[in-house]
Amino acid sequence: MIVKFWGVRGSIPTPGCETTKYGGNTVCIEMIFADIQRRIIVDAGSGLRLLGDHLLAEHAAGEGLDTDIFLTHTHLDHIIGFPFFAPIFMPKTRLRIYGPVTCETESLEAVIGGQLSYRYFPVRQQELAAQIDYINLAEGHFDLGNDIRLSTKYLNHPLLCLGLRFEYEGQVYCTAYDTEPFQNLFVTDPQDPAFDALMAHQGEVAAREENQRMAEFFAGADLLIHDAQYTQQEYEASRKGWGHSAMESVINTAQQSGVRTLALLHHDPMRTDVQLDELTQLLCDRRHTGDTDVFFAREGIQVNI
Amino acid sequence: MHALSSHQTSYLNQIEAYVARMPSLSATATKVLETCNNPQASPNDLNRLIALDPVLAGQVLRLINSAYYSLSQPVSSLTRAIIMLGVNTVKNLVLSFALLQQFPITKPFGSLTSVSFWEHSVAVGVIAKWLAEFKGVNLTDQEDYFVGGLLHDLGKIPLNQKFTDETHQAMTLARQHRWSAVDAESVIFGFDHSMVGGLIARRWRLSPVFVDVLAYHHRPAESPDNNPQLVFIVALADHYARLLENNSDEDTLANDEMAALLMARVGLDASTLACARDVISAEIDRAKIFLEISQRKTGHDC
Repeated sequence: MIVKFWGVRGSIPTPGCETTKYGGNTVCIEMIFADIQRRIIVDAGSGLRLLGDHLLAEHAAGEGLDTDIFLTHTHLDHIIGFPFFAPIFMPKTRLRIYGPVTCETESLEAVIGGQLSYRYFPVRQQELAAQIDYINLAEGHFDLGNDIRLSTKYLNHPLLCLGLRFEYEGQVYCTAYDTEPFQNLFVTDPQDPAFDALMAHQGEVAAREENQRMAEFFAGADLLIHDAQYTQQEYEASRKGWGHSAMESVINTAQQSGVRTLALLHHDPMRTDVQLDELTQLLCDRRHTGDTDVFFAREGIQVNI
Repeated sequence: MHALSSHQTSYLNQIEAYVARMPSLSATATKVLETCNNPQASPNDLNRLIALDPVLAGQVLRLINSAYYSLSQPVSSLTRAIIMLGVNTVKNLVLSFALLQQFPITKPFGSLTSVSFWEHSVAVGVIAKWLAEFKGVNLTDQEDYFVGGLLHDLGKIPLNQKFTDETHQAMTLARQHRWSAVDAESVIFGFDHSMVGGLIARRWRLSPVFVDVLAYHHRPAESPDNNPQLVFIVALADHYARLLENNSDEDTLANDEMAALLMARVGLDASTLACARDVISAEIDRAKIFLEISQRKTGHDC
């Protein structure tokens, strides 16, 4: 299995001379199962445009693309590339798009395809040549065929968001973004007028158990791609509750869960190449990371699992 | 349940149809909208808001445990639901239910008012939680007692909404003959609100302990073995709440046959329960203030 990064940035595409090394496109990851000629795409950030162009160049004229796209969630930075994914304009393309939606009135099709309306884009969803099926995804275990198995788990983000665990021929590839550690959201200070002992206690237990489930979810992964938008200092100072993780705590948890390789993803738009190089020096040294290989994901690189 | 007449079968069919799309209460709707549309609303506010509305609490738990989220383990705690799914998701759930609500506070809630129904439900939840704590139920499980108490009378809503006149008739019969409400309902409908409650709980796929509470809180001795202590405690809380609502004094409690039976089963005496009266009343008042119910009470109690 090969995993290739087409977009690694979080929040918003970040072009410019300070992001040329790690890349400015938002999240898009391609999984290639060469032996069974299968491809799975995770997320449709602006990196999806590059992947689409690459696929068109790779495919002979007239040959259709048949693939699955899994969306971790529907925040804009994870779907913004969809209207620019060239294969959707090709008549022989078949796409199955999976993703979680909250219990609002809009379907997954309306949320993703809604970008393709004259208000935002010159082509409407109804005018696309490709055949596209939308499938709601929830927490569970799924057989994707060809011996590929998928498990999903809800993460901790302001919008319903799924972690994905793919298993194929004994290899495990896992995504856990956008997320931050579960926390007790309830007032714990007995002096606070809103304090409720039962709520505080249950919140504590629930957060602890969910973090435990999270660690079990990616335990033993050969490759874990995890949200690491902030440094621990940034996170503690003012970013708690924003739905993104601190690099240091992610490295620590991955080590404890026996993860073989950890790719840190969803780089903050303000993070420059120079800073990411410095953070690599500081945090990714094997002397600190133990048995886990750690690196900051870079646009265009691929990992063989 | 004995065989129903054709008229009673028609009642049951209409109730089943109603249960399939049961709306939330209006007493909390304004506060729901206010809290959910306020980005500064705290998780504590949200949790308390849901926990104070029996229909809303049941609906949120129902949806969270539905195939929609397909969680690997059932969730019976609102606190856990908020931690797991996040404040925004739960806010969205709450908002969608609030929009379903159809009963403005200025209208009587069938033969009940939504205010009196809400007050009784919260009171039973508060008392049940206090009893659970007194009996040494661990902190984690105490919320089930509150939620069970809060939801116990859900079966009254379809009866009140669909058959207001018949419910009036049942209440009149109960007063005239000194029957219990469930006996009077059975005479009119061929079934009572606890049967309807069981129907709702099963339809909403609430956990088995809540099914038992809704279906057996008037016949706790017949409850299945899922958690008989919970059913008995809610039954006692329900009975005690009604005594409090009727301003009964300590002697009435001590001489009340049903209360004595339930207290013996739960394992506490009348004086202990009477001692808790102030604490319980204060808790209920705190809940009322939170929802600003007292300011909006319009007085349609029957």
